[in-house]
Amino acid sequence: MPASDRDALAVLLSVQGLGPLTLARLVGRLGTPSAILALAGAANAADRLVDASRSDAGSWHAMPSNVADALVEAAGDAPQILAEVRRMGVRVVTPTDPDYPRRLLGIELPPPALFVRGSLAALSSPHVVAVVGTRRPSPPGRRIASRIAAALTKAGATVVSGLAIGIDGAAHAAVVAEQAATVAFIGGGHARLFPRAHDRLADAIVAAGGAVASEYAPRVEPSRGTFPQRNRLISGSADAVVVVEAGARSGALVTASWALEQGRDCFVVPGPIDAPTSAGCNGFLRDWHDLARIVSGIPQLLDDLGLLAEVALPGPGHHRGDATSVEIKSTVKPPTARAMLSGRSEAEQAVAEALVHGAVTVDELVAVTRRSLGEVLRALTRLEAIGLARASHGRYEPAGSLASADPVAA
Amino acid sequence: MLATLLSATLIALDGRVIRVEVDVAPGLPGFTIVGLADASIREARERVRGALRNSGFVHPPRRITVNLAPADVPKTGSAADLAIAVGILIGSEQFTARAGRAALIGEVSLGGEIRTVPGLLPMVAALARRGVRRVIVPAEGADEASLIDGLEIVPAATVADAVDALRSRRHPGPTPPARVELAPMSSAPAPAAQIGLAPPLQPPDLADVRGQLEARRALEVALAGGHGMLMIGPPGTGKTMLARTIPALLPPLSDAESLAATIVASVSGEGPLHELVRTPPFRAPHHTSSYAAIVGGGPSLSPGEITRADHGVLFLDELAEFSRDVLEALRQPLEDGRVTIVRASGAATLPARFQLIAATNPCPCGHAGDENRCTCAQGVPERYVGRISGPLRDRIDVWVTLARMKAAAMVSGPEPESSAVVAARIAAARARQHARLGGRVNARISGRALRAVAGLRATTSSHLAELADTEQLSGRGTERLLRVARTVADLEDAGDVGLAHLEEAARWRPPATRPPVALAV
Repeated sequence: MPASDRDALAVLLSVQGLGPLTLARLVGRLGTPSAILALAGAANAADRLVDASRSDAGSWHAMPSNVADALVEAAGDAPQILAEVRRMGVRVVTPTDPDYPRRLLGIELPPPALFVRGSLAALSSPHVVAVVGTRRPSPPGRRIASRIAAALTKAGATVVSGLAIGIDGAAHAAVVAEQAATVAFIGGGHARLFPRAHDRLADAIVAAGGAVASEYAPRVEPSRGTFPQRNRLISGSADAVVVVEAGARSGALVTASWALEQGRDCFVVPGPIDAPTSAGCNGFLRDWHDLARIVSGIPQLLDDLGLLAEVALPGPGHHRGDATSVEIKSTVKPPTARAMLSGRSEAEQAVAEALVHGAVTVDELVAVTRRSLGEVLRALTRLEAIGLARASHGRYEPAGSLASADPVAA
Repeated sequence: MLATLLSATLIALDGRVIRVEVDVAPGLPGFTIVGLADASIREARERVRGALRNSGFVHPPRRITVNLAPADVPKTGSAADLAIAVGILIGSEQFTARAGRAALIGEVSLGGEIRTVPGLLPMVAALARRGVRRVIVPAEGADEASLIDGLEIVPAATVADAVDALRSRRHPGPTPPARVELAPMSSAPAPAAQIGLAPPLQPPDLADVRGQLEARRALEVALAGGHGMLMIGPPGTGKTMLARTIPALLPPLSDAESLAATIVASVSGEGPLHELVRTPPFRAPHHTSSYAAIVGGGPSLSPGEITRADHGVLFLDELAEFSRDVLEALRQPLEDGRVTIVRASGAATLPARFQLIAATNPCPCGHAGDENRCTCAQGVPERYVGRISGPLRDRIDVWVTLARMKAAAMVSGPEPESSAVVAARIAAARARQHARLGGRVNARISGRALRAVAGLRATTSSHLAELADTEQLSGRGTERLLRVARTVADLEDAGDVGLAHLEEAARWRPPATRPPVALAV
């Protein structure tokens, strides 16, 4: 695609309300994005744009006049919009580019262009898995997300998610902790990154070789409508979607539904039937029991995804009841906390192990490790300094690669 | 005939000697008070009239003019009542006073009794400085007045007593009680009336607080070094309970501090005092308190809570609920240890070397961090603690977040230490600081002095830099880390600040304003 068309596309996509459908009709009628932009700069532009967007089927498919006005305005603003794109360090990737995710070409309404910080190369990997979930997870849910993301990464798969706080963030952070590439699709423009709290995580994702991508131009405000639309990209760019925790009305369920519609595998982590954070997961499993699949364990998930190098299937003599105890020789079994911290002090190892086992307050850490208060406090500082623990509301939890440590003692 | 007597009034925390001139002249009966007198003094007319009549004297039907000199000093309160009453008696020649300068302090009742007044102690001190040798004080305030050396204290319970004392060569009634020695209060149990009307609540013992090891330790460190402290936690986690143990944890005041605290207590109307205040004050104003109540002010420049907490602890529960003006006003006192109040009637600088201990909920509903109970919208908890402005945050050295304890930890768990054990460690750490810093605590020394006393070795310095780096600390944050580490070292009787002290001190930094990102190992 010529550079002028690429720029024109960037300007067109900054118009709120101009979706892929209308854009496709305009391009069909006028030829190229540059031609659309040229028309938007001409006299009586708004009316002519509305005319051009009219489909053969009838006038009600035409774009509303306020969108046409916004388009005319964007055409006038083009230099500023392009300057903003460059200032943000954002590339415009179109379907004709080699790194445009080929999985996205297979979905209905692929984005006409992606605004990308970082590299999308990881999305061309043979295995891409989306890990999504609620923005208000329980601590175990957050840990499961971290462990799944880390295990997927170690098994060679690329993790995509939505950069939201909660499960999404935990998944991205676990991959970044492995120094591997992950891709985040955001629900607004790069200049309006949401949530703001994750701007450092976004930088870290880019620094680790991954990408933050959006189908919206940098100045587009995230809104109620943009997030569900963005969800189709998360599922569409992956082979499978894993929902870790989702409340009854969680947006993660939208992603899961998109996955089923797009013919992707859909995995759901079940939860207790009285846990609000799992109500959506359990409900989804019930409603789509023939399509959605259960995550019964991390090695099992890797197995189902075809990511295990070596799987021992039960022999013919096994009873049916033994089927759940399928012996899986995982080559990507996460290490234990102690193994991760070999070489560090005994107190740090003990505290790390207690954290992985679920101790959350200093009182509990002191009780479990049987060490003095001072030792525990100092060990926490050191673990925090190397990114393996973090404090939140007076509680502590494993972070970084420790979040994916195996709680089962080796 | 003209009568001239001495009395005193109060400006902020200082007593000022005033001359009370009473002229009883023939003419149309009337009673005028001049000399920058406020409403409470002008009301003295009614009190004095009743007191004289009901004590068996005559309120003369003459033209009475009272002048309070010097004319430029604003006078407040009822301390001059007695001098005015006696002046009228002398002026109307109902008795003849013996020669010599006498001073009188006290409020009179309609029945002729003499009541004590707030600020008796600094008023008597001002008279002593002026060279007055004899002062008549309310009988119930005699102990308090006796704390001042160098003048004769004559207690008087009624106006008649005061007249007797001025008329005769020998004073009537019992001799004034023996001087109270500068002994610790614990040696003689103080009467309940000592602090205002309600006797102070016995502070709970730390042994009654189960669990919350982290917060207990933070409180110990904060009290040992005089550091400002903020506890953040949901309701029912023991923040207020911990704070209420503070009075039993602080070491008694030194002689100089004790005198200052006693003057503040006297002016604040906590009297009558019977001996020097030895326990550091612990003030816990409610978050709806007005600006003037916290900072001080009013027409008579009366001390506010921050001055009443001088040399002690100011505990602000629900810090985020205090009005922004009040919180902003804490900045100067936290920095300089005093507060300057300017009013139309003049300016006053009051001491306010308090240690700030505060507590707050993590969010308006109180349950942030508990996904199932917090009903606040996204971002609200962050903004809630964000109400505490940057400059105030900078003055808080020790931050601790409390989580709700599991019942098991409350029931089992190790037996908590008692207040006495912790108080002993705090006292020892304070003694070390006093010896080293000349009576100051770690929280109140300059950054340069701090570096000098930290005794950082080269390796420890590089550790400090490393910690500051990973925690993304500003220069101020690094200094705060070192300051708290110095106190941790003092608690352990360590000469130099070591890595272990820094690592513990790092736990007491403010919680990240943004969720930290777990990055590579």
